[in-house]
Amino acid sequence: MTDNSTIDSQAQMLAMQKAHGPLLEVKDLAVDFTTDTGKPVHAVRSSSFTVYPGQWVAIVGESGSGKSTSAMAVLGLLPGTGHVVGGSIKLDGQEIANAKQKEFDKLRGTKMGLVPQDPMSNLNPVWRIGSQVKEALKANNMDVNHEKRSALAKALAGEDAAVKLKGNDDETFLGSKELPALMDEAKKALTAAGVTGDAFDKAVARFESEWVPGSETRWRVADDLIKAGVKDDDAWYLAKKYVIGSSMDDRIAGLLSEAGLPDAATRARQFPHEFSGGMRQRALIAIGLACRPDLLIADEPTSALDVTVQKRILDHLHYLTDSLGTAVLFITHDLGLAAERAQHIVVMYKGQVVESGPSLEVLQHPQHPYTKRLVAAAPSLASQRIISAKERGEDADALLDHKIADENELEKSEHIITVEHLTKEFKLPRKKEMFKAVDDVSFSVKRGTTLAIVGESGSGKSTVANMVLHLLEPTSGKVFYEGRDTSTFKAKDLLGFRRHVQPVFQNPYGSLDPMYSIFRSIEEPLRIHKIGDQKWRTNRVKELLDMVEMPQSVMGRYPNELSGGQRQRIAIARAMALDPDVIVCDEAVSALDVLVQDQVLHLLNDLQAEKGLSYLFITHDLAVVRQIADEVVVMQHGKLVEHATTDEVFDHPKMQYTQDLLDAIPGGKLKLGLD
Amino acid sequence: MTNENLDNQLDNSGEPTPEYFMETLPGQDRYVAPLDETPLQDVDSVDESAPAASMWADAWRTLRRNPLFIISGIVILFIIIVAIAPGLFTKQDPNSCDLANSLSPASNGHPFGYDMQGCDVYTRVVYGTRTSLSVGVLSTLLVVFVGTLIGAVAGFFGGWVDAVLSRITDIFFALPMLLGAIVVLQMFKTSKSIWKVVLVLALFGWVGVCRIARSAVLEAKNLEFNTASTALGSTPTRNLFRHILPNSLAPIIVIGTTSLASYIVAEATLSFLGVGLPTTTVSWGGDISSAQVNLQTDPLVLFYPSAALAITVLAFIMMGDAVKDALDPKSRTA
Repeated sequence: MTDNSTIDSQAQMLAMQKAHGPLLEVKDLAVDFTTDTGKPVHAVRSSSFTVYPGQWVAIVGESGSGKSTSAMAVLGLLPGTGHVVGGSIKLDGQEIANAKQKEFDKLRGTKMGLVPQDPMSNLNPVWRIGSQVKEALKANNMDVNHEKRSALAKALAGEDAAVKLKGNDDETFLGSKELPALMDEAKKALTAAGVTGDAFDKAVARFESEWVPGSETRWRVADDLIKAGVKDDDAWYLAKKYVIGSSMDDRIAGLLSEAGLPDAATRARQFPHEFSGGMRQRALIAIGLACRPDLLIADEPTSALDVTVQKRILDHLHYLTDSLGTAVLFITHDLGLAAERAQHIVVMYKGQVVESGPSLEVLQHPQHPYTKRLVAAAPSLASQRIISAKERGEDADALLDHKIADENELEKSEHIITVEHLTKEFKLPRKKEMFKAVDDVSFSVKRGTTLAIVGESGSGKSTVANMVLHLLEPTSGKVFYEGRDTSTFKAKDLLGFRRHVQPVFQNPYGSLDPMYSIFRSIEEPLRIHKIGDQKWRTNRVKELLDMVEMPQSVMGRYPNELSGGQRQRIAIARAMALDPDVIVCDEAVSALDVLVQDQVLHLLNDLQAEKGLSYLFITHDLAVVRQIADEVVVMQHGKLVEHATTDEVFDHPKMQYTQDLLDAIPGGKLKLGLD
Repeated sequence: MTNENLDNQLDNSGEPTPEYFMETLPGQDRYVAPLDETPLQDVDSVDESAPAASMWADAWRTLRRNPLFIISGIVILFIIIVAIAPGLFTKQDPNSCDLANSLSPASNGHPFGYDMQGCDVYTRVVYGTRTSLSVGVLSTLLVVFVGTLIGAVAGFFGGWVDAVLSRITDIFFALPMLLGAIVVLQMFKTSKSIWKVVLVLALFGWVGVCRIARSAVLEAKNLEFNTASTALGSTPTRNLFRHILPNSLAPIIVIGTTSLASYIVAEATLSFLGVGLPTTTVSWGGDISSAQVNLQTDPLVLFYPSAALAITVLAFIMMGDAVKDALDPKSRTA
């Protein structure tokens, strides 16, 4: 920011944006969905936002806030019974709020691109990646050469309409056939221009990395040559001679490598199932940008991915859209991520825009109560552990007493759960060697504290949780509960163990039986362990509902009537029914909206202070760890990478991997005005 | 942030805060929605006003609104009443026939006329209802019971148990039901009874239910609430009966209701072919069979039992569709 040149380029950008006017202007948008009964549901009400060319604008909101619906209305892709009932959507000054699908067909691809949310379901599994990129190009006539397309566009628009086409030099790509010759000529030209030694090597290295067939345009080749010291005329002569258009395969590979896929030509011949989630998302980005849209709508493009992958992909997308001058409408539920990536933030709540403005300003001085709530709850922005309600009310002396009382208890045994050299191997189908999901992991959970296991998907953290819960037999290694080896447990011991060690699982939609009423769900553990009579159990369920701050009236309801956060609270109540000592939370808050997540974390924290619970907290989200954990175990590829107290891990991470994880926390570096 | 600070900022909302002044583009000024237009609700509050809805209650609500269900329900209710109390609809004995009345046309008190044996067609149609319905219902119950049991065992235990049971299912699946039933019933030609028909239909019919039950159990088995329940201390067998089976019931009920009609048809076909029910039992299939000789001269004698059969089958198929819509909303056609 302090750099003069960036300020200059920012001022230039601003002037350009001002001169061009808004690219997308949404005013008082209203979208309704019609239900089965014919009653309209207002999904979006009087929403307004503006996107300028080359700008990143983020729409932030929780699930059901109307953020995706607004974006889909812009694209003309409202699902099912959704339709625009009011307001205006102007794309480059053209009103499209009630445009026909045919008109949208022309706009989508060339003017607007989409990077959808779920990389797993948005690629056709029976088509090669390359064919799917090709489809995007063909659908927009990008497969034919420039002159032909100009003619086509003119024909489509009618003779008298003034068709603005992108410049020829911007649309002619380098082909792989011409690349070697161009490289030779470029080297000669450099020598002729008197570039030698170090500068020469640097320039050639630059050409080699930049000149990707199917991605590098004539204009950019010329520009590169000029920058390297070749005279203008010579540079343009070379560019015009050798950059004469690329084959379709070159173009596809070029697009994929632009999106950050290495070895793109080979990748293009692969099928989606051969790609990881991050690679699929990159392929979708390539498709979204294939026809060089002015506006790219990215609908939670990375929320299904690991944080480090998310960071890499967004960094790359940022670089790519900056170099192409594409504006991005970025939909996310993560305020930190939005503030980090976008210049302008739009906060939506219950279908309405509640606040919008420059991102830092909104983040540092939130004014609408909802935004304030969001900022306060955002885990990535929080800098310390949640203090429990109990401790908040106590003065220092009482705290001290509390600690002493704890210490007395510690005599029993300091570590409630100890894991030693835990290893789990799985047999992979069609492969001989065993896959080590967990490799020699040892740690212990101190009584009354929280130990978090952090890792990305596939790090083996959930496998550890399942072994601690005795749901999975370790290949080798032992789990001790209260100093007793759990592998020696007989049926009766195991039942006792289950009473003391309880799980809360990730998926709030899956972990409650949909056929069971809330009462029956919470009562189930009491029934299994044959505790109390019907009346006692009813009272206990009521007590538990109070404990998790749910009204007693939900007893007769069914899980499908409750939101994710409410179900998770019911799952916690069920886990608490037997008065356990240890709760294993396997990604217990990962599926929840920020505010709800914050609420559940506070609940867990308060319960810990009240009941002296110990938590084993499995999560992929380091930001959450800071709020809840005392100690952190970082796992990667089944191995324990780092084990330290939370403060140590955050302030002085020892391993590079931990540092990478920390760097990837969205918005982690942003400073808040709050204290 | 202190309260004082907050108030200060709310006062000059609309104007950019000085230390973060940046040039904003037109249309991108700081905007804060008025609070009265966007009231803040409690985080994740429970809607206590909505009626409680279990899966069954939901299904019932959907069913009640479905005209298909209402029409078929009324027809089936009527059929059941006729089957239980045929005496309410006719005072005559279906087996007291007088050859003197052979093929007489309709007359007062005998709206459908007489068949060749001189039996009252109306009375025989009324009494035939019970036969058709009981064969249909009993076969369905048996098929659902056997099929669910075998399917659940195969799906739940998996491994070699599943392999063996699935191969047996495949063998039975390859046998055409009607052909198999004819072959087997041919052996009991001299000692026909309603039970034999039911058993034979079940013998060749359980595979369909078994396959559905197996896949439903396989699906329900892998749902997270089973793991949750195990972690609470539940045993696998308890899980099967308390969680997995209840969650697999919907598709089984659907296939049960839809196949009921096909068993009624199968019984009629077998009786028509003379290998089904004993001739002493009044049944639509048997009556259709004996009426076919006079089809050209007296088509009405054949028409009435056929119409009764068609209406019953149609009603059950409609009911099956409605139940399918309610229990399996994904299969609903828009």
